[in-house]
Amino acid sequence: MLFQRSANTVALAAALCAACTVAFADDSKYPEWRGQWRRPPGIGIQWDPTKALGPPQQAPLTPEYQKVFEASMADQRAGGQGGDPTYTCIPPGMPRAMTVVFPMDIIILPEATYIIIEYSNQVRRIYTDGRDWPKDAEPAFLGYSVGKWVDEDGDGKYDVLEVETRGMKGPRSFDASGLPLHVDNDTVVKERIYLDKSNRDVLIDEVTTLDKALTRPWTVTKKYVREKKNVIWFEYNCTENNRHVQIGKDNYYVSADGFLMPVRKGQGPPDLKYFKDAQQ
Amino acid sequence: MLKHNLLAASLLALAAAAAPALAQDSSKYPDWSGQWKRPPGAGIQWDQTKRPGLDQQPPLTPEYQAIFDASLADQAKGGQGDNIRVTCSTNGMPRVMTVIRPIEFVVQPKMTYVIFESYMPRRIYTDGRSFPTDQEPAMIGYSIGNWKDEDGDGRFDLLEVETRNFKGPRNLEATGLPLHRDNQTVVKERFRLDKSAKDTLLNEITVIDNAFTRPWTITKKYIREQGKVIWNEDECGENNNHVVIGKENYFLSADGLLMPTKKGQQPPDLRYFSQTGN
Repeated sequence: MLFQRSANTVALAAALCAACTVAFADDSKYPEWRGQWRRPPGIGIQWDPTKALGPPQQAPLTPEYQKVFEASMADQRAGGQGGDPTYTCIPPGMPRAMTVVFPMDIIILPEATYIIIEYSNQVRRIYTDGRDWPKDAEPAFLGYSVGKWVDEDGDGKYDVLEVETRGMKGPRSFDASGLPLHVDNDTVVKERIYLDKSNRDVLIDEVTTLDKALTRPWTVTKKYVREKKNVIWFEYNCTENNRHVQIGKDNYYVSADGFLMPVRKGQGPPDLKYFKDAQQ
Repeated sequence: MLKHNLLAASLLALAAAAAPALAQDSSKYPDWSGQWKRPPGAGIQWDQTKRPGLDQQPPLTPEYQAIFDASLADQAKGGQGDNIRVTCSTNGMPRVMTVIRPIEFVVQPKMTYVIFESYMPRRIYTDGRSFPTDQEPAMIGYSIGNWKDEDGDGRFDLLEVETRNFKGPRNLEATGLPLHRDNQTVVKERFRLDKSAKDTLLNEITVIDNAFTRPWTITKKYIREQGKVIWNEDECGENNNHVVIGKENYFLSADGLLMPTKKGQQPPDLRYFSQTGN
């Protein structure tokens, strides 16, 4: 329901774009966000960077989702992966992608801002061409993002990008502890992205998550620091040498010598009945 | 005269250095915006004009022809051969330019990005840099490009790209058509719009690789989507039912159990379960 608006705008934008010339953002109107952005030194990969991972996050979870969270942490203590779905190389999706585990690159074009995260194929397209929500877009881990540039200080140059993201699919969690989002995937993420006025090499993202796993909208502020020297981009393909294997509902590990291993004490081997069937 | 020219050039250079970034002239660059797809009917084989497999007639050395034949034989029995994509490993260069799923070009003065639905983006540096000496090898390699104005109309029409510094394993298509394990591949590309159809982008790709007896050139075509542009998220790791344990690949059944993929295939060795008393 949240995701039902006219698709005509998208079609019109596409038709117009086919006829347009290549467009660079006018630097006199748009902020300078080029470069490589990283988490500040010492900042981990938890959701609220000002608090420790797990219960100290003080997530405003409903009682139902508090239990889901506690079960995740209990499973992780026993050697499992809990509610962190990324171990099979499912992407973190939104809003977790904005933790920026690996560095990101931002391209500002008049019609869209691209956030390219150095992990798998995580590229956010934030449309700033005035379009409405499409009614027929496939749900995505990263969702569908519509943004609006704002000139807050009235100096004739945009300084804040306000973004709303909807249309997500799951499973997703806020961080590696399995801090959950609702399984209905009706998450709405609102962001305000801007440069720190006192340090133009610090980018701030105020992220507000509205989700039925939460009792209220939850706002955290992420900071990113611009790398200025020797920018190097790596290729981080999660699927390369991923030793985690999910068989049915159980997860296992492939040892260095190539054998299946249990990850928990007392974990049984997978059911191999189809091999018996094939050999009969 | 020479002195005047040098002075003028110096002044221009100074002016360019002092000018804000907005002075970068977008009218100099070709319009490659939009969504690009394989032409209707074009498959995902390497040379679009030939069928996949042996019909590609790759100029393989005898050693690598034998590797290719073994991959095809394994696939004929139900295996995956050397098709590394089964584990969701990225295809790497140059195979990603087959454009299995649509791509987007974002042309910027110092860099052209190629954005995929399934893989990490390519960054093609056009800022005049040289190949770095300390970069980690990557499946996608490291790409340096050079814009050319071939017809002299004052506007760039050709992007020449060279890509080096790979890691592997990589191959050219799903049949396992191999590249050399030394990963010394060099890929040269020439991207340009078709002069007779501005919604057709041509990519002439030359692969120089020690698995080949000579450089191998093919031309890929991409068609600009004229209808509604929709970008999907293609996450190979989502619901991938292929499982590799050791050197064997298995399949997960719809009910979540491990299955053989070949007749007579043995189940995985469960020695670590018995050792841990499980």
